[in-house]
Amino acid sequence: MTIAIFTGSLLGAIMLGMPIAFALFVCAIALMLLQGNIDTTILSQKLVEGADSFPLLAIPFFMLAGELMNAGGISKRIVTFALTFVGHLRGGLGFVAIFASVMMAAISGSAAADAAAIGALLIPMMRQAGYDVPRSAGLIAAGGVIAPVIPPSIGLIVFGVIANVSIGKLFLAGIVPGLMMGLSLVLAWLWVARRDKVTILPRQNWGVRLRAGIDGIWALIMPVGIIGGLKFGIFTPTEAGVVACVYAFVVGAFIYRELPLRQLYPILVASAKSTSVIVFLIATALISAWLITLSELPEQVATMLSPFMDNKILLMFVIMAIVVIVGTALDFAPTLMILTPVLMPVIKQAGIDPVYFGVLFIMNNAIGLITPPVGIVLNVMCGVANISMNELMKGLWPFLWAELIVLFLLVLFPDLVMVPLAWLTRP
Amino acid sequence: QFQNRTIRVSNGVSKEHPMGNGLAAMGACTLEKTGGKMKIQPYWDGALGNDLTATQSVRTGSLEMVLTSTAPLTSIIPAFGVFDLPFLFNDEKEADQLLDGKVGAWFSDKLPAVGAVNLSWWENGFRHTTNSRRPITKAEDFSGVKMRVMQNNIFIDTFKELGSNAVPLAFSEIYSALETRTVDGQENPFNNIENMKFYEVQKYLTLTKHAYSPTLVLFSKKVWDGLSPEEQNVLKECAAVGQKEQRKVNREKAEVSLTNLKSQGMQINEIAPEEMARMRDKLRVINDRHAASIGRETLDLVFGELKRIRGN
Amino acid sequence: MSRVFQAIEALLAVMLSAMVVMVFGNVVLRYAFNSGITVSEELARFFFVWITFIGAVVAMHDGSHLGMDGFVRTLSRRGKVICFTLSQSLILICCAMLFWGTWLQHEVNASTMAPVTEIPMIWVYGVSYVSALGIGAHALIKLWRVATGRIRDNELIDISENEEIHPIPVAGGADR
Ligand code: NA
Ligand code: NA
Repeated sequence: MTIAIFTGSLLGAIMLGMPIAFALFVCAIALMLLQGNIDTTILSQKLVEGADSFPLLAIPFFMLAGELMNAGGISKRIVTFALTFVGHLRGGLGFVAIFASVMMAAISGSAAADAAAIGALLIPMMRQAGYDVPRSAGLIAAGGVIAPVIPPSIGLIVFGVIANVSIGKLFLAGIVPGLMMGLSLVLAWLWVARRDKVTILPRQNWGVRLRAGIDGIWALIMPVGIIGGLKFGIFTPTEAGVVACVYAFVVGAFIYRELPLRQLYPILVASAKSTSVIVFLIATALISAWLITLSELPEQVATMLSPFMDNKILLMFVIMAIVVIVGTALDFAPTLMILTPVLMPVIKQAGIDPVYFGVLFIMNNAIGLITPPVGIVLNVMCGVANISMNELMKGLWPFLWAELIVLFLLVLFPDLVMVPLAWLTRP
Repeated sequence: QFQNRTIRVSNGVSKEHPMGNGLAAMGACTLEKTGGKMKIQPYWDGALGNDLTATQSVRTGSLEMVLTSTAPLTSIIPAFGVFDLPFLFNDEKEADQLLDGKVGAWFSDKLPAVGAVNLSWWENGFRHTTNSRRPITKAEDFSGVKMRVMQNNIFIDTFKELGSNAVPLAFSEIYSALETRTVDGQENPFNNIENMKFYEVQKYLTLTKHAYSPTLVLFSKKVWDGLSPEEQNVLKECAAVGQKEQRKVNREKAEVSLTNLKSQGMQINEIAPEEMARMRDKLRVINDRHAASIGRETLDLVFGELKRIRGN
Repeated sequence: MSRVFQAIEALLAVMLSAMVVMVFGNVVLRYAFNSGITVSEELARFFFVWITFIGAVVAMHDGSHLGMDGFVRTLSRRGKVICFTLSQSLILICCAMLFWGTWLQHEVNASTMAPVTEIPMIWVYGVSYVSALGIGAHALIKLWRVATGRIRDNELIDISENEEIHPIPVAGGADR
């Protein structure tokens, strides 16, 4: 009954075209009606309490840093740098795209923005060199979804706050799985592009490479700085965000001089607005989380999953399959907000490491950004590459499968996450 | 005279904490005395919010009960800040006598005015210091140590006075901040140090015993007023039953935790009495500096009673 | 009206900059001077809360709250109007309940001081008054436009499916 009321009210309100934040609000009120106790003070108190959290401050900081970097010419230099090294190889531009995706992932947390930035730079070049455009766009779309897995990641922050799991640990745990996604794309690209006839760029000499390296050094050392800073405890995740902001501003405005100071104001406004949209949604999700906790919903879900409860791998497999299915129709943020409070009690009860679960859950949600019918990165890539959704899907399949296989491997072998994590957090 | 009721209780700690033993004892007692009608339903790990927000929910009647530190109450009634003063109590016996006596009642009597009823005083216990830099043998050893502290002016001030850099952090972030050395140390009772596995990332444990954290069994006044006198009595009596069990287990577990922490490889040291005395002297300014916010009357009352208990 | 929203945008920008300055300042102080300002952590958090809940009103005005318009788009104008009326009415009810809840909780928050800054918490938790009033007013205006038959087709879907990219407006200009 609780499950029916929960899903019914939530999906009904979403279908009406309400903002999902208010659909969660309506869902909370429906759960209150079910429990026979309308308590409006819970609505107001839990709403603001949901946003009143220092770790969440990382969200506006990383949003702002991302905007500043896009405006400051950082992605362009990463692409140029990679071009001078692998541009002359067969399928070289594909490797450039994957390298740039991983690098951008380690700087920003936004899948759609990364895919858009890399696509805008590389797709015209790939088209001209004779690469299959839908396949190229598919590769870049699949590369974009690495962003939420490799830190910094707004998805990992939100999961950490809702599930009460250390964000610092989640960040460090995401690195290797994110790199594995990149590696899976390299293998898939080698396979599908092996017979392509494309013009290859001239091989560059070391002088050119060195110059591109020097010009791009400020962009290239940023991931090292952020991840190193987290690993060596120079700053907390929130502070990493603010350091990234200041760094991106200084590099963009004073070193690359591509960020005019008058751009700063609109960038601040845009970042504040994006922050508000995401955090308002988190806050409403925490109202329904309170009611979910008080209802029997987690127990009911646990009962439904009880046949798998004894076998962690099987349970993870079932949960991940559910999230893949939900992810086809719901995008990243809503899936995260709705499912985290429902699933966490089950995860804890089954004795699954919450950090391990968090990384896989976020990876799964990220992959949801490129599964049809609803996937925002798909829409963005169609626009950037100027192709239809059907064309893009044809090009995307191999890469989507490659990433799903990575997810599957991580379910089968949790040590692929846990061993590198232990190594990274070793004092 | 008894109705079917479920008392939902919010806890910031996990269910393995001695609070769990206390609530189990209290719950068994209410079930027995009401013929199975009054149930205690705990929620752990801050699932219903942190101490402050759960206390607010109790005040408005959205939630029946919370086990809370004095911190949220200090935000409402500054007199409660007295319990944050360094080295207020010397041992558990003093704390028990003061809290279970007329001074404890004096504090409890302030609560109905802000929408809460204190059923009993339980405890989180004496707090000690861990860090990854060096064993603390004297006040000067705090110098330059980045210490995580609770977001509380008196605690912040205390550790600044000792020369350390006080960094307020959320409880859930302590472990990873210690692990990555964003902060060097933290202070908590033994049970928390063990439950949160701080021993994995901290080498030195110093028995500073610098503060004693009481816990209030706080009931919603709004809900309370709707209970029959019999029901109110059952709750009070059973909270006392819970108190006995909770304090007992908390103290036993503290001993066990200390042994476990040692076997986990923590280097444990005590501070020599004369150094301890120096530290107390050094921190006496904290009492004066915060006297205005806590209130003279409160300080006189508490210190007067302590003097009486100590028999001098 | 656009003047009001321009002023709000300026406020958001100022608060976000202040957050950057305060938190970054603390990192610098910790490393350069082994000290820190404990007030700035709390104040930055409060600014963040204000940005979120004031920004939520702006997002309503911009139609940039996340939602899914797949189903509504397939409907006729008539169907769209029905869904829109229902959804705006529900939003109005939510806002009324939110406002009422904040009012009931007002005294509890007003009597609680923030641990470090000692600001009464109503200055933080009372921000839901602003959200409830602003978003409620928006819903009322839209319902009024439906009732008087003046609602335009493009107003009937006022959510965004894009959770990550928000176009940066031209410097100094309002969104509409
Ligand atoms: Na990232
Ligand atoms: Na999808």
